Amino acid sequence: MSFLELRSITKRFGGLKAVDDFSLSLEKGSLTALIGPNGCGKSTTFNLISGTFTPDDGSIHFDGIDISLLPAQQIARLGVGRKFQVPAIFPELTVFQNLKVPTLQSKSYFSRSGSNHMLLEILSQIRLNKKSDTPASQLSHGEKQWLEIGMILAQAPKLILLDEPTAGMTATETAATAELIKDINKSGDVTILVIEHDIGFIEQLQCPLTVMARGQVLKSGSFDTIRNDKEVQELYFGKEASAHA
Amino acid sequence: MEFWEAKLKNKLPVIITFGSLALIPLFVGDYWISQLNYYLVYGLFALSLSLVWGYGGILCLGQAIFFGIGAYVMAVTTKGMISPILMNSYIGLALAILCSAAFAALLGSFLFAGKGINGAYLAIVTLAIAIVLERLMSNWYLLGGYNGLLDVPPLNLGAFGYDIELWDSLPAFYTLWVIVFSVAIGLTYLVRSDYGILLTSIKTNPDRLAYFGFSILKLKLSVFCLSAAIAGLAGALFVTIDGFASPTLIGFTLSTEVLIWVAIGGKEVLLAAFLGAIATRIAESWLSEIFGDYWILILGITFMVSVVLLPKGLIATPLSHIGKRLSIKID
Repeated sequence: MSFLELRSITKRFGGLKAVDDFSLSLEKGSLTALIGPNGCGKSTTFNLISGTFTPDDGSIHFDGIDISLLPAQQIARLGVGRKFQVPAIFPELTVFQNLKVPTLQSKSYFSRSGSNHMLLEILSQIRLNKKSDTPASQLSHGEKQWLEIGMILAQAPKLILLDEPTAGMTATETAATAELIKDINKSGDVTILVIEHDIGFIEQLQCPLTVMARGQVLKSGSFDTIRNDKEVQELYFGKEASAHA
Repeated sequence: MEFWEAKLKNKLPVIITFGSLALIPLFVGDYWISQLNYYLVYGLFALSLSLVWGYGGILCLGQAIFFGIGAYVMAVTTKGMISPILMNSYIGLALAILCSAAFAALLGSFLFAGKGINGAYLAIVTLAIAIVLERLMSNWYLLGGYNGLLDVPPLNLGAFGYDIELWDSLPAFYTLWVIVFSVAIGLTYLVRSDYGILLTSIKTNPDRLAYFGFSILKLKLSVFCLSAAIAGLAGALFVTIDGFASPTLIGFTLSTEVLIWVAIGGKEVLLAAFLGAIATRIAESWLSEIFGDYWILILGITFMVSVVLLPKGLIATPLSHIGKRLSIKID
């Protein structure tokens, strides 16, 4: 069995099938992108994996455990970290305190932190080492995105779900984010699944793609195969290209 | 020097405040000392609400529930109504704290379970429970009913047959001072610890915490129970200086009063909430002499001004300005 395996999961909202008989399997240490037009069920898929919703049909296995029906908090404890589309950070806390929050889950509230060293490393990894004591509310949008990625690293998960990590970023920031994600994935311990709209970003990631449409898998393959696929072009790249032209 | 920077500096405002309080009995007469005793207890009560509301983000409109439970448990224990063996101030205080916290745990398990109740709904539910309990106590004749329990003995610091009863207001003052000061310093330490970081995060974005694996229920319960325990302690101390436990201690009026003290002082700063309680009580005793019942209008206007113009609180706002200038973080 794969590290993360979604077996024909279905999620209905009223009459609408947001996710429809969708299957996906990720190997340990892999980096995969999930793309598709708005409303195709990408975010719902994330919500199903991370426990916001439970699937109506099918099953989700993570690291050998059936997590289909578990609540978000237990799935997180098993080692699934999730970055939200709108950066979900704590604006009143400083950057460093934000990074500290996830580490407090696994230990007693009152113990003095022994993990500061790890947090300092993450701080430089997300390029915020000069802003350690800055309140998170004062960060730029891109920096907030990085901070949330940093918080997920502090959680030390085995699987990271990134929902549009470069939304609202400049081109330079986007490139830096691609480097950051590849860097995280390099060790081979962390499996990453990215939802993204920005094709330029996906190209920089150099990773296999799964294209989703109307809640189902349309195509899977390498970036180049997908880019040259007629059906996908019609659905996604074509529209994008004409919209940007 | 490092010790100064790390430990002492940020606690200076609390230490200065309580240092000055300790000196006041040297300059005032017996009447004011006995008033000070009430202020200390009300200040302690305000600290409990500031913790759960200002730091934990849980607006409890029935904080007097826990004050009242503490008061009644202390009264019943030290009057020997449970058993003569338990007629001891220390046992009374311990039971008062325990029962308040236990009731909070029970109540909180319902309020915060599942998706939980938040904001105005939580406020209304807690307020309703306070009213129900006030009615209950008014009709529970075994516990004095509407008339309450009279002749609650003062604190007795002695044990094992030796009595050190604090009938005079001066020794009672310094005893209360030690207790309230300890709680205040302890809370200042707590909100600066990692637990304080968690409180801020659960206040601003509780849903996020679930995705880091936290149990929101446990976190909310912990701060709710701690706050209730402190309110219970305040209630227990109150009956030892007042000698009287009545249904008003558990009900609607006191719940809203403490809310106003804390809002006027500043809910997000423990010290400001503490001083807010004292300042409002002092203002009450002066203004009600001059204006009679109309003083309530002045209080209401002050409350509205503070909510609209200075939502951080009338005391917290200048305090944090001073703190910024001296680069001290005031909690």
